[in-house]
Amino acid sequence: MSGSPDAAPLAQANWHEVPRKKKYDYGRLIFQLLFLLPAVAFLLVFMFYPIEETFRTSLMQTSGVGESTYIGLENYRALIFGVHSEEFRAGFVHVLIWAFWSIVIQIPLAFFIAFSLVAYKSRFTGVLRVVYYMSSIIPSTIVAMLGRFVFAPKFGVIATLSKTLGWTWLARIDFLGDPGNVFWSLFAIATWAYIGFGIVYLMANIEQISAEIREAAELDGANRFQYAVYVVAPMVSYPIRILAIINTVGCLKLFDIVYLMTQGGPRYSSTTLAVVLYRQGFVNWHYGLAAAIGVVIFLMSLFLSVAQFSLQRRGGDIA
Amino acid sequence: MRSIDLITAEQTKRWTGWRRRRGFDPSALLILVILIVLALIIILPLFLPWFFVFKTRLEFARYPWALPKQIMWTNFKEAWTAVKIDQGFINTVQVCIGAIVCTVPSAAMAGYIFARYRNRWTEVMFYVILTGYFVPVQMVLIPLHKLNGQLGLLDTLPGVFLPIAAFGIPFWTIIYRSFFRSLPSELAEAARIDGAGHLGVFLRVMLPLATPATVLATLLVFIGAWSDYLLTLIMINNQKLFTMQMRVAQFINAYGTDNMPRYAAAAVIAAAPTLLLYIIGNRWILRGTLAGALKG
Repeated sequence: MSGSPDAAPLAQANWHEVPRKKKYDYGRLIFQLLFLLPAVAFLLVFMFYPIEETFRTSLMQTSGVGESTYIGLENYRALIFGVHSEEFRAGFVHVLIWAFWSIVIQIPLAFFIAFSLVAYKSRFTGVLRVVYYMSSIIPSTIVAMLGRFVFAPKFGVIATLSKTLGWTWLARIDFLGDPGNVFWSLFAIATWAYIGFGIVYLMANIEQISAEIREAAELDGANRFQYAVYVVAPMVSYPIRILAIINTVGCLKLFDIVYLMTQGGPRYSSTTLAVVLYRQGFVNWHYGLAAAIGVVIFLMSLFLSVAQFSLQRRGGDIA
Repeated sequence: MRSIDLITAEQTKRWTGWRRRRGFDPSALLILVILIVLALIIILPLFLPWFFVFKTRLEFARYPWALPKQIMWTNFKEAWTAVKIDQGFINTVQVCIGAIVCTVPSAAMAGYIFARYRNRWTEVMFYVILTGYFVPVQMVLIPLHKLNGQLGLLDTLPGVFLPIAAFGIPFWTIIYRSFFRSLPSELAEAARIDGAGHLGVFLRVMLPLATPATVLATLLVFIGAWSDYLLTLIMINNQKLFTMQMRVAQFINAYGTDNMPRYAAAAVIAAAPTLLLYIIGNRWILRGTLAGALKG
């Protein structure tokens, strides 16, 4: 470097990319390395190494302590066809059903609320938005606690209310103990707990739509319903799809509410993949089986996340 | 850069509702009523326990919806000793602080490198960290448990917050990266000319500018650690180290709903800290949620 050394590179807009000197700038490299070190170290130790271990353990018969033997794909076979297939299949199917209904019920509901809040802006809008998100911030243990409070037999809110009103047919329904009802009770609680995000997310996207588009629709004589269905919904189709994926990934992870309210029961009528994993791993101490379930969850969520990411990349961030 | 718009609340001409027509609009009223009913459904489970908490079991069985004969706090006292939420509180706060201290600086540093030192190998590293964003913690529970056993972290609070941090870092790295990229580089250039080194530019110029992102990260990492149940359930056996959520879960399993007034009191106690937090910080929480969801 000679003359005024830094003047030329600094004139460029991307000062940090430009300095291409003959001598390699080791300080710069060391700075980068040091700054990436904490994040990379955390991920290596607590994420990437455990991922590798999950794959390895899924091929073993092991209980965590003592000997472990390599048994190939035996764990997967046991899950899909063998002794544990009933529980695993129940968990798998529930995740799919759960995802299906969350897309069919929760997303249209969230869209309705979000659109109404934006289209019918009033002095209540801000308060309503805060209220709708309130249940989403509540920790899942407390959601489960409130869920029992509402659905508990004999003394729960619904049972008490139906006794007061004299509706014996309602008082007789066992919301959490009857295999036919338990899924829907849990689904209702999960809807209550998770709808807030969808509302807030769609609201933000709908608010981004420019005023000109609304004016054009209004000039063409569209009413608000037509505007919602034919203009707004297509414009937020990317966010809706992303929301569908987020919901589905959420179903794969569903554990706290189900485990705390029913432990997946009665028998396997409300179990999910994460609950099956926990029960096999930390109740029955079948580490290998649990790891195999972990691999299944991982592959499914990886597939969904890649789809989500590519949607977001394709300018789907906001309509 | 949508997250940035939201963080700085920079608004252009956006759609803010259908043009108001003159006079009475019945559809608006109908929609408002529906919206309020739905909002009540959200609030009611949090509000209804108050009907029961001041009653004895007998009173509850006979007149569940009437006003209580007298305000009695025995249910609260019993619930308080049963839930032991005060003991859990200190542990929860420790987990939260640990998670924040491990997550936020690591993510800020990594995000800064990915935004301002872009070259081939940092791009590769970014994608490595990005993949971490897609990994659900449920998948690695078994090896995490084993690993913590080997590291001597089982039954310790770091055993909980270190994995929480590892699974939070990818997301906040992405947020910090897009935030740092949106900042103008002139300030950094000026600092460079004044002789500041790489570290000086980061600490004295860029990091202060990124305060909004830091506030959001701190708040949302706090909430995530505050709500955690699954990792604590697996890592902590010692009752002295139970977090608030573990105490709540313990209460649900140990004390049924048969004594409904006490259960209701416990629900009120358990939900109170979070609700208080939300009432104070709902603006920031909503904004942070959106910044995360709409990351650019």
